[in-house]
Parts: sequence; structure tokens; C-alpha cells
Amino acid sequence: MAALSEEVLLVVKRVRQRKQDGTLYLMTERIAWGPEGKDRFTVSHLYADIRCQKISPDGKAKIQLQLVLHTGESTTFHFANESTALKDRDAAKDLLQQLLPKFKKKANKELEEKNRMLQEDPVLFQLYKDLVVSQVISAEEFWASRLKLNSVDHALSNNNKQEVGISAAFLADIRPQTDGCNGLKYNLTSDIIESIFRTYPAVKQKYAENVPHNLTEKEFWTRFFQSHYFHRDRINTGQQDIFSECAKQDEKGLKSMVVQGVKNPMVDLMSLEDKTLDEGYGSLTALPNSSKTVKENSNSAIIKRFNHHSAMVLAAGLRKVEASSDQASETSSTDGNSRDSDFFQPPIKKVKLQEAIEYEDLQNESGPKTIALNLKKSDRYSHGPVPLQSHHYSTSQDIINSVSCIQEEISCYKPCLTRVMSSSAASSAITALSPGGVLMQAGAQQTISQLVSTDVQSELKHLYTAAGELLRHFWSCFPVNTPFLEEKVVKMQSNLERFQSTKLHPFQEKIQREYLSTNLTNHVEEMIQAAYNKFHAWQTRRMLRKT
Amino acid sequence: MKLNIDGLLVYFPYDYIYPEQYSYMLELKRTLDAKGHGVLEMPSGTGKTISLLSLIVAYQRTYPLEVTKLIYCSRTVPEIEKVIEELRKLMEFYTKETGEKNNFLALALSSRKNLCIHPEVSSLRFGKEVDGKCHSLTASYIRAQRHSNPNQPVCRFYEEFDAVGRQVPIPSGIYNLDDLKAFGRKKGWCPYYLARYSILHANIVVYSYHYLLDPKIADLVSKELAKKSVVVFDEAHNIDNVCIDSMSVNITRRTLDRCQTNVETLQNTIQRIKETDAAKLREEYRRLVEGLKEANVARETDIYLSNPVLPDEILQEAVPGSIRTAEHFVGFLKRFLEYLKARLRIHHVVQESSPQFLKDIYEKVCIDRKPLRFCAERLRSLLRTLEIADIADFSAVTLISNFATLVSTYSKGFTIIIEPFEDKTPTIVNPVLHFSCMDPSIAIKPVFERFQSVIITSGTLSPLDIYPRILDFRPVTMASFTMTLARTCLCPLIVGRGNDQVAMSSKFETREDFAVIRNYGNLLLEMSAIVPDGIVAFFTSYVYMENIVASWYEQGILENIQRNKLIFIETQDAAETSMALEKYQEACENGRGAILLSVARGKVSEGIDFVHHFGRAVIMFGVPYVYTQSRILKARLEYLRDQFQIRENDFLTFDAMRHAAQCVGRAIRGKTDYGLMIFADKRYARADKRGKLPRWIQEHITDGSLNLTIDETVQLSKHFLRQMAQPFRREDQLGLSLLTLEQLQSEEMLQKISQIAQQLLLGRRQLVPQPLVLLAKPPHLST
Repeated sequence: MAALSEEVLLVVKRVRQRKQDGTLYLMTERIAWGPEGKDRFTVSHLYADIRCQKISPDGKAKIQLQLVLHTGESTTFHFANESTALKDRDAAKDLLQQLLPKFKKKANKELEEKNRMLQEDPVLFQLYKDLVVSQVISAEEFWASRLKLNSVDHALSNNNKQEVGISAAFLADIRPQTDGCNGLKYNLTSDIIESIFRTYPAVKQKYAENVPHNLTEKEFWTRFFQSHYFHRDRINTGQQDIFSECAKQDEKGLKSMVVQGVKNPMVDLMSLEDKTLDEGYGSLTALPNSSKTVKENSNSAIIKRFNHHSAMVLAAGLRKVEASSDQASETSSTDGNSRDSDFFQPPIKKVKLQEAIEYEDLQNESGPKTIALNLKKSDRYSHGPVPLQSHHYSTSQDIINSVSCIQEEISCYKPCLTRVMSSSAASSAITALSPGGVLMQAGAQQTISQLVSTDVQSELKHLYTAAGELLRHFWSCFPVNTPFLEEKVVKMQSNLERFQSTKLHPFQEKIQREYLSTNLTNHVEEMIQAAYNKFHAWQTRRMLRKT
Repeated sequence: MKLNIDGLLVYFPYDYIYPEQYSYMLELKRTLDAKGHGVLEMPSGTGKTISLLSLIVAYQRTYPLEVTKLIYCSRTVPEIEKVIEELRKLMEFYTKETGEKNNFLALALSSRKNLCIHPEVSSLRFGKEVDGKCHSLTASYIRAQRHSNPNQPVCRFYEEFDAVGRQVPIPSGIYNLDDLKAFGRKKGWCPYYLARYSILHANIVVYSYHYLLDPKIADLVSKELAKKSVVVFDEAHNIDNVCIDSMSVNITRRTLDRCQTNVETLQNTIQRIKETDAAKLREEYRRLVEGLKEANVARETDIYLSNPVLPDEILQEAVPGSIRTAEHFVGFLKRFLEYLKARLRIHHVVQESSPQFLKDIYEKVCIDRKPLRFCAERLRSLLRTLEIADIADFSAVTLISNFATLVSTYSKGFTIIIEPFEDKTPTIVNPVLHFSCMDPSIAIKPVFERFQSVIITSGTLSPLDIYPRILDFRPVTMASFTMTLARTCLCPLIVGRGNDQVAMSSKFETREDFAVIRNYGNLLLEMSAIVPDGIVAFFTSYVYMENIVASWYEQGILENIQRNKLIFIETQDAAETSMALEKYQEACENGRGAILLSVARGKVSEGIDFVHHFGRAVIMFGVPYVYTQSRILKARLEYLRDQFQIRENDFLTFDAMRHAAQCVGRAIRGKTDYGLMIFADKRYARADKRGKLPRWIQEHITDGSLNLTIDETVQLSKHFLRQMAQPFRREDQLGLSLLTLEQLQSEEMLQKISQIAQQLLLGRRQLVPQPLVLLAKPPHLST
């Protein structure tokens, strides 16, 4: 029993599965069940494989817990201990509730991420097939560098991970269902509860104040749904409940938000009009009247509520960001040190005004600011790395010079008609220079695309990418300065050898069979050879150092 | 770039130009050359302001004697500030190109609330409070009192300005509101009075409509502006309403009560002064005998903007003897007040004209027309004599006396409606006397007569010919410009049916229909699922929106919408709405996306732009007709029919369509922006509605986008949005909707540009009534 080494978090006896009595074990990484009297598990699920758990409703005769796996299968446990069944089940449920989310995120994310990458990138998929499926390297090795690479892209976002916002419709998701006997049933998930807390901190506070000591969790939420606060205007129950205070607090919050005013002067409707008409002037028929019907009042309450709700949802999503920007604005307002808003308003106003009058397409220098390429040696940039041993290479300046030299010579070239070539020599020179001639050999060569059939071509391409990938792994090990890298470089070298023998050589044989010139693979071979050379050089040096 | 507009060198501060901007400048140049007025409709977001500024500034520089000043009127404070910033950009370009610092002075003027730097006064929240407080610190007799009593608080900024500020003119440059304040702080001068003083010699003044159109303010502020000015009314689609509002008065029982207290205070003050300083009252009497000759002298030199409240002939006469002494005047006011109170004690609606009202008042309390006409002037004089500090307290009696002057001056163009209760609440007695102006031309007439060129421009002025008719003037140019587009970045769709084929319409008979409300909800729901970032939806009125929101809430539609986007809703409270707006923008900014439910004719629809991702779709639920049951509106419609031969329906549709166009136009700014414009009412498909949309929207409504179902709308929208999401580069636009200088100079392009402006034909212009006839016969003589 491998499970012995694991820590067992909970043991529940007398649990039936498929009409068989047994014992349920909850361990750190998996849940397992073994029939009575046997010392092995017939059911064992990693938490990571479990999608969700379901429980039988209260009041049902059978007290059950069902686990649904990602594969769609499900396992049902029946708690059969008459006296403590409910308690047992709830204990198991609660523990699972804590454990599952931890595993869920980790496992799923990685798998999903890998899946997504493979689906999105056909080249990567091909590479995966070439290298992993044919077992040149193992899947872990393949992903090790990939995921890291990927995480580099997301490094920024990962460092200060963005919090997931709240759906504006989270209250709508709690759809009440009638349970058949004149009651309503609300389904609450931990997500929804979190949403409620984040959006309405007042409720969270109430929860913290009341829940363990005054009310049970269930009672709390029952009251919440019954409260006038939740329904706001649909049913006007006059009763005093614990949430009436929340409503007041919300009202206050809304008022303070309104009083604070807006930062952006462009949307401030209060100061939009330059000069309002004095009281009594104007032809507006809608004079402010206090005589509003009840219905109109409730309608405007709904509108207010929507505005407030949206503002709160928005704020909940932004709270973190705001914390930092608040500090910034605080410092700016402290050195403004007066409530006269003029001192710190202009910057925002200026920016907004500039934005408002800008026509991006009329201006020339608009568009995203690009970073200028800063080249120390532009020659090297335009020529690329050139092997140093090739004795002579000309800088662009040389080339330009020589071109201008030739141009100059041509411009002052004067045919000397007395000393022309013989006609035979001239015609032979022309043949030599026309296509197929001696001097035009290089140009006349047919390109690979014309010579080689398309499937060979695509195979070659795959070979190139696979070799490239392996070589990338190989070269990324240098400079070898950790034991891990040492190990990896050795492995990579053997991987390369394996690649050569399982992929490259069969391909070479194939093209030989088709009577194509073998120089097709020359370049790949060269690249691999270069890697070997490097490897041997490194190995001999290491040997030397060791001795 | 430097442009050649019909022989005028124009500096344009950008490297590229939209063809319509060029065309717009051409038309503008023609108008200025002719020294006439113009009506120009240019699509929103095509750089109207900068074109206007570039051309007029160039004109001013080239012909400094022809055009001395530009008066640029805009509607909101942010708009005013935007204009100044664009001007700054232009001037920087001038400096860069010519290498010399030009000596242009341009400034913005706004109310005290936006300009005050007095620590106590500026901390007040409402404009009226600021004005009142300022007045109590700066009024002339307060300052005079300070000589005897050094403890009398005054505003040091004003004192400083009054002492030295007028001697040296403000250095040339561009002054926005904040710049004025900074300058004021530096010098210790009051920025408000500095600005008011400086507009007299500034080259460019930017302020709001009221400073020219509201006679009460125009008289104070804009009286002395030079005749050779060009006046621009930007965003002028609502100008007629601004005119009407500034001339209309409403009197409730509360007004009368407050007026009563005012009159009592006046009486007591007079009594007190009589005992202590009778000479003062005698002095006033003498002044009044001499009459208003002083004002007359000023007007004859033709420098002053005439005040419509104060007709010319009044100036020839002295204040009538019956109200010349202070006591008599107060007694007169009392009688007038009692009469008004009696008139408000009614049980049925009364509607009458000004002459009828005057006849009645003569019969009942023997008040003549003549003293009534002097009422406002007489009160002003009295308040000055009595050294009343807080003018704001006397707003009620000022209102009443203004009403008296107006009603006795204008026999035409106004109507009096007395309603005992509101239509909605017939049981609650709340009598109101509406004295409403029906003729916008009364307020704007002095402007047209006085200034050599008045330009009325906006993104939505269609149909163009209606403005000259209702404002009663004769333009030399009327043109509507289209938007040249490299890609059709606006997509107007008319949704007429739900998926169940039930017609969608906000017309009165069906607006409460369950199916219509549900279909509207479904439309919004579907759009919320496919449109990225922000959606703005407009309803026809607050009440309608509240009802619809409530029933969407009950049907669970809002919950479903919330799954896609956050919902924010405009309320009647401006502060609350501002907050909702800011949150809405925040939600669009951070990628959540949001929906703003708003109201046509509301503050949001008039003042806020929803550019780029702040408004990828605008949905107009229903046709925003004005509430037609109001008696004031009915009277106005009748007047329009009788005076200008404009049929009621034509005007109502025109009014509804300009507001609809205004709402949907908020979403487009510039050619890189894009947005859906969804008209959710089957009535939009009719030719009479569609034909009243601005040309630049109309020409993109194809037969395929009429009377769609929700599903079809979603399909078209998806297609449109996908297309628009493709990268859009400058190269795509160049040569089509964006021009370089070289492209602009090609013959072929000039040919094309000439087609952008659609001139109104001369034949249609003759529909415009001849203003000269009215000039020869001032309305008040006809009684």
C-alpha cells in the first residue's frame, strides 16, 4: 500500500459504495475508499481529477456524497452509519471543500495551458509529435523550457497578478427556486459569497459581527435573502433587520461619492453650464416638483440602486489598483495643502483638454512611440554574424566605395574601336555568360523547391524545426555552470544522437532511395556536428580540469 | 501647413487636412467677404473649430480693419476651454512659422464661479451664491462706505484691479480660465473683472451664448463690443431655445410671496433713508426727470448692443411721473403685485396675449402701459439709490419688474398662460403664470443687426433653411458639408421590428406595450453582447426611461445585460449623474465595458462626448419628440404656423430629429473613430424623418438598413464592428479623406472638394421672410 506514506486527514467508517461497506480515507492528495476487510483501495481519485462534489439534499433518507470527475465519471458514497451519518458526510464535505479548490486551479491551469499552446501553435504541435511522441525527449523536458518561456511573456502580469473581477450579474445568478412547499431555495456558492463580500463590504462586516456567535451561516444568509436590503424595493417589509444598517451605510457611501464630485472636469455636469438662468426665467415646463407618485419614487430607487451596484462592482475590481493610486493622489493633495481644488486640478484638466482637441490623423508624429534602435556597429547589424575566419570581408563603406569606383570608371569609359576582340573570342564569352554557360553555372542551378517533391520538403522542414528545437535546448545549457546544466547538456547530447539515428538517418536513406543529392541534409548535419564539437570540447576541458 | 484659401494665406497647424475642412474654410471666407451671415453644417468631429479659428485669425491678420474681433460663443465651459486650447495650438504654429511673436490677445470669459480667486467667495458651490457674495464685496456704494468705515470688508483683488488694472492692458497671449486665474493671482487682480474689461480690446473672445443672447447679461457684458466683429455660434442647433429661455418668465405663488417681502423691505428702507438722507432721493428724482438720455447718447454712436428689454423710444422719454418718486413706485409695485395675485387665483387655464393682459390690468387696477415699460429701469435705479447690498435677495421683485417691462414692450411673439395646477396633479393647487417667448428672433435680432458677420454652425443643423426662418435673418451662405471617408466609420441602422415582428416604436399608443418594451430590452441585450467597450442608449424622456428600466428590471432583462456589461443610468440629479458618467468611463477604460442609459435633451446628451471606446454604439430608443401636451409648446407651434408658415408637424419632427442626431453624433469624433448609430423606432424609416437627419448621416443610410429586425441588426453590426477593428493607417486615408498640401493643390482634388459643400439653392432662400419689413415697423408700435 503506497498510500501508507501519505498523511491521512480523515477516516470515515461505514461508507458504502456500490452496495459494499467500506472505509473512506481523505488524504493530502487524494480520496480513497477500500471495502471492509481488505487492505487495498478499490476507489482512489486524485483531488486534481475531481471536478466537483455534490451532496444529497437535507431530509433525504440516503445521505450521500457524489464526486464528479473531469472525465465525466462519478462516484457516489453512501454514509451508512445511522447515528452519525450526517455528521460524517458534512465532515467529509467540508474537508473536500477546502481541499478541492487548491488542486483544481493548479492542475487545470497547467493542463489547459499546455493544451491551449498546442492547439494554437501548429508548429509546436508538430514539434511535440516529432520529439515527444517519438520519444526523443520526454514530455517534461519538452514543457520545461516551453512553459518557462511562456511565463517570461507573462512575467509582468504574474508578478502582480490581476485579481479576477466580479461579474456584474452575480446577484442574478442566485436564482431562487421554489422547493414545492411554499418556500424558496437559493443556491449559494463560495464564489457568490465572495462576490457579495467584495462588492458590499457592509455585508461582510455584518457577517463577521454575527456569524459564529449570533447566527449560523445558514441563518445569516436566510435573513440576507429575506431582508429588505436584498430586495430593496420589491417588497417593502417594514421590519427592522440587521441589514437595514447596511442600506443606510450604502446610502451614505453613495452620498459621499456624489459629494466628492468627479475628478475629470470634462464629465462634471455640475460645472458644464457657464451661466444658468436665474430662477423664474426660462421656458422649461418641468419645474422641480416634490409631488412624485409612489411608483415614480420606487423607479428612481431602482435606478439609484443600479448605479450604486455598478459602482461597487467596479470598485471591487479596482480596489487593489486604487490603493496605490490613492497614495499618489494623497501626496499630491498634501502638497496642494488646501481645499481649493485649483491647485491640483489643472494637470488632469490639461491632459483631458489636450486629449479632447487632438486629431491623431491630422498630425504627423502621432502614433505609438517607438524605441529607436541603438546600434553600436551598424555594419554588423546589416551583415549578420559572419564567421571570423573568412579572411576578408568588406564593410558597407568598402562596398559603396567600390561601387562608386566602378560607376566612375564606367562613366568615363570610352570604347577603343581599334583594339577590339576577335569575333570568335567575343562569341565564346557571350556563351559563357548566357544561362547554362560556364560562368553562369551557379545561377542556373535549380532551386530545391523545383527538385524535391512537396512531402519531402515538408518532412525536411519538420526535421529542421525539430533539430532547431533540440539544438536550442542544447545551446541554452552553455555556459555550463551548475550541476543541473551539466546533467542536461549530457542528456541533450544523447538526445541529439538519438535524433540523428531515429530521424535524420532514415530521412537520408529515403532521399538516397529517391536519388536526390544528399546535400539536402548537409546543413542539418553541420549544425549537429557543431553541437557535438562544442560538447566534446567542453567534455575534454572538464576532464582536464578534473584531473 | 500654409493654405491658400481663395487668395488668403491661412496657417493651419496640422500637417494634413480633411477635404471638408478646406471646403468649410472656403465657404467661411465667402461669408466674411460678403460681410453677411452664414449657416454652416459640418459633421461632428471633423475639426470644425480649428478650421473656423484658422480662417478667421488669418482674415483678421490680413484685413485688420475689416474684422477687428472674433466673438466665439460656445455652450459649455469645457467647450469654451477646448476652443482656447485649439487657439493656443494655432498661435504656437504661427510663432513657429513666422518666427515672430504675434500680439494677439485671446481670452475666455466665464461666470464668477469659474474665475473667482477670492478664498472665501470661490469656495461657495453655486454660481448664484458666488455672484451675490461678490456683489456684496464690490458694489460701488459698499466701496464708498469703506472710506468712512475701514472695517467694511471688500475684495482686495477687485480693489487692486480697480486701482491699477485698467492702466496697462493685459499682455498679449492666449488666456484660458486657469491662465486668467494664475495671472490674477500673480498680480493680485480680480480675474473676472480683468477679463470683462479685457474683452473690449481682445482680438478673440470666447464665452457662452448667454453673454450675447440673454439681454440681462448682454447689457452688462457685451454692450461695448465693436461692430466689426465676427460672431460665431458653435453647437448652435439649440440656439432658438436659448433665445426663448432668456426672454421667458414664470411666476408662481412663491415668487409673489417673496416679492411681497421684497417690496416691504424696499418700503422700510425708503422710509429710513427719507428720515436720514432725503437728499439722496431728491437727487434720484432729478436724474429720472432728465430721463435716460445718457443711455440714448451711447446708443446713437452705434457702439452699443441694443437691449431688447429697453426699446429705443423709451430713451427719448423721461420716466413717467406716476412712478418717479420712490414711494409712488413702491405703491405702484404693490398694486401690480396684488393684481398678479388676483390673476393667480383661478380655477381654469387662461391663455391670453400681451395686449389682452394690458387691457385687463388697465381695467382692473388702472395701471397704464407706459409706467409698466419703465418698471425694470426704475427698479434698477431705486436699488442703486437705496444701496442694496445683496441683489440676489431681490431676485423676485426684479423678475416681476422685468416681466412688466417685457409684457408692455412686446405685443407680438409672447403669450401668457396661467395654469391653476399641473396637468399631472390636478388636485394640488399650484398656480403658475407663464410668460413665454415664442419668437427666438427677438433675443437674437440685436446680434444680427449689430455685427457684420454672424456664423451659425453645428454638426446638426438640418434642415438648414429652417434656422434662418425661425431666427428671422438672411444668410449669404448656407451650406451643409459631407464627411469624406476612406472607410465608412459610421453605421446608421434603423431597427423597426423585434424578432417577433412586433413593430418597435415609442409613439404614444404603443409605448406602454409590453412587447415593445421587451423588444427594446432584447435589442439592448443583444447589442451588449457584441459591441466592445461602451454603449450609450438614449430614451425620449426621464419618465419613459424610468418606466422602461423598471419593467426591464422586473422581466430580468437588466440582469442578463449585467452579465455582459455594467449598467449606469442618468438621473435627474446632476451630481449623481456626473459620478455615474465617470464610473462609466472608468469601466470602458479598464476593459469591462459598460452601458449608459441616458435621456435625449438631458444634460448628458447635450454636453458630453462619447469618443472612441467610450461609445462604440449609440442606441436611440424612440423618436425624442418634445412633450406635446404642454400649452406653451402649443402656443409656440401656433405662432410658428401663423408667422413663419411652418407647419406644426414639420417643426416637431425637425425638433425631434435634431435631438436624435445630436445624440447619435456624440459617438463620432474624427475619422479614426467609429461607431454604430442605432435608431430604434420604425418611424425613422419614413422619408420625412430620415430626410431631416444631417446629410452626413443620411447618406450612409441605405435601403438595406431600414426597418430591420433585431437579428438583422446584430448581423450588420457584427460585420461592421469586425471591419472597423482592422488596423486603419494613414495611408488608407491619404488622398481620400486626408490630404497633404500637394494633394490639396491638384486640380482634380479641388474639383472634388467643391462637391463637398452642398449649397442651398437660391430658390429656397426666398422662403426666408424679409427682415427689412419688420425693421421698418417695430413690433411694439403695432398696439
